[in-house]
Amino acid sequence: MKRLLLAAAVSTALFGNALFARAWAADPGITDNEITIGLFAPMSGPLTAFGLDALQAAKMWYEEINRQGGIHGRKIKLVIEDDKCSPNDVVAVVKKLVTVDNVFFVHGGSCTAAAVAAQEFVTREKVPHVMLNASGDSAVIPPTRYVFGAFGGTQRTVGATLAEFAIKELKGKRIALIAHDDDYGVANAATVKAVAKRLGAEVVALESISPRITDLTAPMLNVRAANPDVIISTCYPGPAVLVAQKYAEFGMTRIPFAQAVQGIPVPAGFAKNVGNDAAFANFYYGSPLNDLTDGPKQQKWIAMYKQHYPDRTPSAFMTYGLPSAMAITRALEKAGRNVTRESFVDALETVDFDSEVVAGPIAFAKDRRDAHRASIFIRYDGKSGHTLMPGVYTWDGKEGR
Amino acid sequence: MWPLVLQGVASGIVTGCVYALIAISLVIVYKSSDVINFAGGEMVMLGGYLGMFALLGLGLPYLFVFPFAALVIFAIGALFDRIVLTRTLRRAVPGQSVLVAMVIGTVGLSYVIKGAVRVVPYTEEVRRLPPISAGQPIFLGPVVLQHQDVAITLAAIVIMAALWAFFGFTIIGKALRATSQNPRAAALVGIPVRLMSMTAWGLAAALAGVAGVLLAPKLLLTPDSGIVVILALAAAIIGGFTSLPGCVAGGILLGVVQNMIGQFVSSRAISLAPFLVIMLVLLVRPQGLFAGRPTTKKV
Repeated sequence: MKRLLLAAAVSTALFGNALFARAWAADPGITDNEITIGLFAPMSGPLTAFGLDALQAAKMWYEEINRQGGIHGRKIKLVIEDDKCSPNDVVAVVKKLVTVDNVFFVHGGSCTAAAVAAQEFVTREKVPHVMLNASGDSAVIPPTRYVFGAFGGTQRTVGATLAEFAIKELKGKRIALIAHDDDYGVANAATVKAVAKRLGAEVVALESISPRITDLTAPMLNVRAANPDVIISTCYPGPAVLVAQKYAEFGMTRIPFAQAVQGIPVPAGFAKNVGNDAAFANFYYGSPLNDLTDGPKQQKWIAMYKQHYPDRTPSAFMTYGLPSAMAITRALEKAGRNVTRESFVDALETVDFDSEVVAGPIAFAKDRRDAHRASIFIRYDGKSGHTLMPGVYTWDGKEGR
Repeated sequence: MWPLVLQGVASGIVTGCVYALIAISLVIVYKSSDVINFAGGEMVMLGGYLGMFALLGLGLPYLFVFPFAALVIFAIGALFDRIVLTRTLRRAVPGQSVLVAMVIGTVGLSYVIKGAVRVVPYTEEVRRLPPISAGQPIFLGPVVLQHQDVAITLAAIVIMAALWAFFGFTIIGKALRATSQNPRAAALVGIPVRLMSMTAWGLAAALAGVAGVLLAPKLLLTPDSGIVVILALAAAIIGGFTSLPGCVAGGILLGVVQNMIGQFVSSRAISLAPFLVIMLVLLVRPQGLFAGRPTTKKV
């Protein structure tokens, strides 16, 4: 009997430890000295510009963390894939990273429509997905447990901050909004209207246009007829150029014109496409960053990038890849050495820090999956003159929701 | 209200003229081979990029940019007919329609063109060609027109007039018309039917390319700009898909209707305009507003 009890005690001790160890190590992609992260972005195809440098910046951040000894004694190992910003590719890449490469979690996505395609899979498999720089509302509102993103701010943030800037700084009382007739535009319009109502202004024209529109004459004539004192556009690059052209063509340049960041990825290229100096007499654009893309606050990241990639000049999207990587490494630190996918998600929900990259804090919560809610605004003369406007504008997370 | 309406009409005429050019390109192909060219939009887009290459890469003036783009795309259209369509026709199984295979061939061509353009690095960003003609806006009463708009309209009118003269007064034009009306009879009188088919495809492609160069300074260039073909299809359907003057009227009507819908219904409804027009025409007058009574084609 004694022997039996002894055997039972020994087995319990052995198997118990083994079971405990197994329980902790149950999540793939993590060993005693390594954490494997699946990193992806568009590295080929027409949307490469949105993701390649952002991915390189995230990689650079992980290399810096590794250089400093890693996290809780573990080095970060990356498995990098190209998603081409295509929904089919994103799903294939995420499945491959999770089931073949056995990564601990996935970090990637520069285009919301594509990144959202992986949501069902990561939720089913309970694999955390932190988006690289995709910022569309549909990915993070309503929140789901395993998906985190919008490090550049959702379209609700874009709309709310544009409206507040237009009313407070540009003294607008009668606002005209040109937005797209898709999810982005609906989110923009919802927050513009809500903020305008709170601040006592009126949306006198709301022109919902197709992203594929070929002639902006009618919408811009409607805007002119509404007699606004500020014009806001949240259009994508192509239509944004057409809006600015008609704005100048129809002699509305005495009215301040504020363009959302998605329409003016490269200001010099935008001005060249508009091809009319008059359009920039009263022109402003928003940015989620804490400074001009080449401003003093961005210089340390540019210098770090050049140190890591001496042969490559960073694009304007480079620093957009940093906040998500920073949030990840902070959450891994918070989760401790015995981190699991679930405890990593719990830790991400408590992240709240100043990235020194974007204008406002990076924060998540139990019911919040959009990381960033602030914008700055810049006056642009269409040549080389970019003037930072005072103030940081923030969406409260409730208006227009 | 009237100044807004007049401005909408004027702007609609300008864009409508370009839709008309693309529509004519579609109709030339349809009349020569009974096929709708689903690569027409991509030929327009390619024309825009070729124009950009000629202007910025080769440093050619606009005067030479049009023939450059037209020649390159003429060759693409003619070769497509020779290499793909002729072989498809030869392999036709008696009793089965070969038209479906030919239409799918044009869809394939659209993917090939779009894919090839995307490989070129400078197609990653939205681009625009410099204005064909620059200067202070022209005021016609309450209507404001850019030099660019006037140049586009004039160029479109000149091209349409040249086409009318070509089909009406030249031997090749008459041979093309004869081939489109009855290929077997045309062959019996010694017209090289296959060569005419190649010429028609080349001509239609060149026309689409020229429309691309005209559109590129007004609209913007991306590899997806070929979507404009939907508007041209609507213009061609208004014209009855057989009538070249009908295409012109259809294009202009569509351009104006789009603006009127945008002004008096909703901006959101602008993109519905071509589809509404197509449905209305098919319901009320399926042969098109400018075609004669429906006839049975001789075989």
